[in-house]
Amino acid sequence: MNRIVSRRVRALGLALTGVSFLSVASAMAGDVTVWAWDPNFNGATMTEAAARYTAINPGANIIIDDSASQDDIRAKLQTQLLAGSTDGLPDIVLIQDDVAQKYLQSFPGAFEPLSDTIDMSVFAQYKVAAATLDGKSYSLPFDSGVTGLFYRSDYLEQAGFTADDLKDITWDRLVEIGTTVKEKTGHKLLDLDLNDTGVIRMMIQSAGKWYFAEDGSLDIIDNAPLKKALETYAKFYQADLVNPVSSWAEYTGSFTSGNTAMVPVGVWITGTIKANADQSGLWGVAPVPRLDIEGSVNASNQGGSSWYVLASSDNKEEAIDFLKTVWGSDVDFYQQILVNQGAVGSLLAARDGEAYKASDAFFSGQPVWQDFSTWLSQIPSVDYGTFTAEVDDAVKAQLPGIIQGGDVTAALQAINDQASQQMQ
Amino acid sequence: MTATPMTTTDAGAAASAQAGTRRSGNPFAMLRRALVYVLLSIAAFVSVFPFFWMIVGTTNTSADIIRGKASFGSAFFDNAATFFTQVDALRVFWNSAVIAIVGTVLTLAISSLAGYSFEMFRSKVRERIFALLLLLLSIPFAALMVPLFVMFAQAKLVNTYVAVILPTVASIFIIFYFRQATKAFPSELRDAAKIDGLKEWQIFLYVYLPVMRSTYAAATIIIFMANWNNYLWPLIVLQTAENKTITLIVSALTSAYTPDYGMILFGTVLATLPTLIIFFLLQRRFVEGMLGAVK
Amino acid sequence: MPQARLDRREHITGWAFIAPALILLGLFMIYPIVWSLWMSFQVGKGMNLSFGGLANIERLTKDAVFQRALGNTFIFFIVQVPIMIGLALLFAVALNDSTLRFRGLFRTAIFLPCVTSLIAYSTLFKSMFATNGVVKNALMTLHLTDGPIPWLTDPFWAKILIIIAITWRWTGYNMIFYLAALQNIDRSIYEAARIDGVPAWARFRYLTIPMLKPVILFTTVISTIGTLQLFDEVQNITQGGPSDATLTLSLYIYNLTFKFMPSFGYSATVSWVIVVLVGILSFIQFLIARDRRSA
Repeated sequence: MNRIVSRRVRALGLALTGVSFLSVASAMAGDVTVWAWDPNFNGATMTEAAARYTAINPGANIIIDDSASQDDIRAKLQTQLLAGSTDGLPDIVLIQDDVAQKYLQSFPGAFEPLSDTIDMSVFAQYKVAAATLDGKSYSLPFDSGVTGLFYRSDYLEQAGFTADDLKDITWDRLVEIGTTVKEKTGHKLLDLDLNDTGVIRMMIQSAGKWYFAEDGSLDIIDNAPLKKALETYAKFYQADLVNPVSSWAEYTGSFTSGNTAMVPVGVWITGTIKANADQSGLWGVAPVPRLDIEGSVNASNQGGSSWYVLASSDNKEEAIDFLKTVWGSDVDFYQQILVNQGAVGSLLAARDGEAYKASDAFFSGQPVWQDFSTWLSQIPSVDYGTFTAEVDDAVKAQLPGIIQGGDVTAALQAINDQASQQMQ
Repeated sequence: MTATPMTTTDAGAAASAQAGTRRSGNPFAMLRRALVYVLLSIAAFVSVFPFFWMIVGTTNTSADIIRGKASFGSAFFDNAATFFTQVDALRVFWNSAVIAIVGTVLTLAISSLAGYSFEMFRSKVRERIFALLLLLLSIPFAALMVPLFVMFAQAKLVNTYVAVILPTVASIFIIFYFRQATKAFPSELRDAAKIDGLKEWQIFLYVYLPVMRSTYAAATIIIFMANWNNYLWPLIVLQTAENKTITLIVSALTSAYTPDYGMILFGTVLATLPTLIIFFLLQRRFVEGMLGAVK
Repeated sequence: MPQARLDRREHITGWAFIAPALILLGLFMIYPIVWSLWMSFQVGKGMNLSFGGLANIERLTKDAVFQRALGNTFIFFIVQVPIMIGLALLFAVALNDSTLRFRGLFRTAIFLPCVTSLIAYSTLFKSMFATNGVVKNALMTLHLTDGPIPWLTDPFWAKILIIIAITWRWTGYNMIFYLAALQNIDRSIYEAARIDGVPAWARFRYLTIPMLKPVILFTTVISTIGTLQLFDEVQNITQGGPSDATLTLSLYIYNLTFKFMPSFGYSATVSWVIVVLVGILSFIQFLIARDRRSA
């Protein structure tokens, strides 16, 4: 027994000495660390940008961490800002536009204003507005979430329509077209996820509206675009045009596998669609439909994000210089990330580059990037406020009722009640 | 919890032998037996099917998986290649292994010592403390995360293995588990060791530990699983990609703009493998160990 | 188990053995909990906090989302825990028959789910129960349904799915506890009862159940705590939706802290609700246990 025991003791001792080697050195001073959330999309564009910068400044070392999801990055950022700790934070972080104001307003001083050193007039103005607080702008605008109606041109054709039939239409007209497409081809019009308010937000932004009034207070009950959007949402279900999905993977899986006829979504989905090379020539993009009310246009936005510099960064100057040099002026860089990642940047000058003018064989020779650029300039600017997540949840809570024909006015009241309770 | 009386072995054996001879031939007994097999087979099938599905998935392309294809395909090596190019597998496996192994050893040491002591050396104050600990068992971790993070940030330990491991080491559940198991530890053994002049720590190390090895085996599985699968806290406290665990990395893959299901399933199989191996290695001891805990 | 009075040295040893665990728990559990108790009296956003007295409690009483989360947690508790414990008992009794063939195989298979990594498990359940997933195909082939069941998109079915998922993962775990306890039970009592002509159901009801009562209590306590902390499944499979149908208290705390405009004081208040709930439930269980002892 004794031998066994002594072996155990030794093993334990070994394990304990191991503990002292466990501390891992964090990133060295002088490095610029960046958090992004998709190695094939925004992470890849940042890698390309870093390569361009280090080519000019051989001393620079830019480390990109794209190994966490967007939700994870938010949780990490929020914990550390709440804890008042800056040790673990990167120098540059990617934040989606619709949550930016929440961070800027609840953690004053945590982010570095960039408008003092970088000229913001060279970017799309609605992107700059999303990151502006008290006259200062805090972000280097990255990708645009300009929306389009991606559609299967083969299904559309079988149903007897042409691409022109989708130009500048209303959502109500789309319901009619979708009904015919379903009759003729058996394919439903849309994928919708009751846990995601993307389409509804896209609809209200096309009318220049969000969930809030100008002073930031809740604007739900008399919000005509929201009411119309919810009614339209219900129409999709009542006309049986929806493939219900329940996660991002199922959502993308449904339209990339040919189940669904159309996808109204932000331009950043292009890469996902084009990943299915066997579907080349079967897709087209139309302008997103508008709401059938006064002031709604055939252009909107979904998602899109921007780069923020943390005020706690030890390498603020270098981080800002990096963003300014590559992201703020390199037109050629923007051509490359458009071609390689399908990332539509917000630098206005980039729109005149070669890649933006090219037509795309995957989309049957349609000059998709030029189209997106056109729609981009028409997106109504809205103030996303600080409580979008709370109102989103209140809207989601009503969706199952609404699609079963529930009263929309009552639902608006319920959304208003829940959201105002949550906004304390 | 009460101990059950000792078995009167001879009587029991004789009775079941008798029952065994009588059982064959009775149509009701046979029918019941058939039902038991059907029930267990269904349960076993339902339990194992997702594993089969997962393994089939690793051999199919993303598109096939979305279409619900349930047969083996030929994309296994493509999926593996995609996974290994996108993920620094050696590095994340190393991180997971260090965290899980060191965490398990430390938890076993510290929590079993405490469980043993709570049962062996009872006092009014310690009983009160124990009752309080049981109440604390129920607090959701999300509620503790921000203050914990503040502490580790002040100690300059953010982004270290230490920060991941340390808060899990004193586990109330494992203390509770060892205390229950200690109830089955024969106190005569301790008395004899005391007469032989062994000190308390020697009794624990040389008598208790070897006798309770099944209990330790069961605890090892439970703790290793918990550490290997730990998600929320490592997510917050590990900052750089080179320190992340396999669980964090695979989880992030599922939310890419273009999720590659085949590659993700390959990753999940890889992430599940170590806990499966530990389980099969310790499985026989495991059941014995659980036995100790419920006496 | 009666224990002789401890002498001075044993008293010291008792504290010494517990000390490492207590120090760690004090640092990483008690301190953050006390901190969060203090926070529960604070109101404000982000880092701008001020003392608000009972404002958070008042907010709680008007919070419909909180009430939904509380309701869901209770539904999971009332529906899922009995189903799981019933199934676990059934399997354990079936597997306890020493003449049964393939016992080890069945036992391993049924236990296997609780060794899966969380990430594998949630990915698998999402894809298997997707609108056109393998479960739909199976049910339609068996003619059990004539259309897809909206597992993930209907509030009612999403709850059922979560119940199925937790039951799948944890039944085997509980079964092992019962199996271990059953193997402790004196077989001759059963045989005596059988010879006296006591039918199987009555043996189960009047012999097995009473003898397993301590273990059933133990697993019930563990499952109660597990349900009140339910987070992983709902976060990874349904994100609490649709329409908050699967939102649990733990997930709500997470949302309040990390997803919404951070109002940490309020989320600390919700955490303390769980502590109080468990306190009440433990007290009830304590009363039941005392009743049993005096009877």
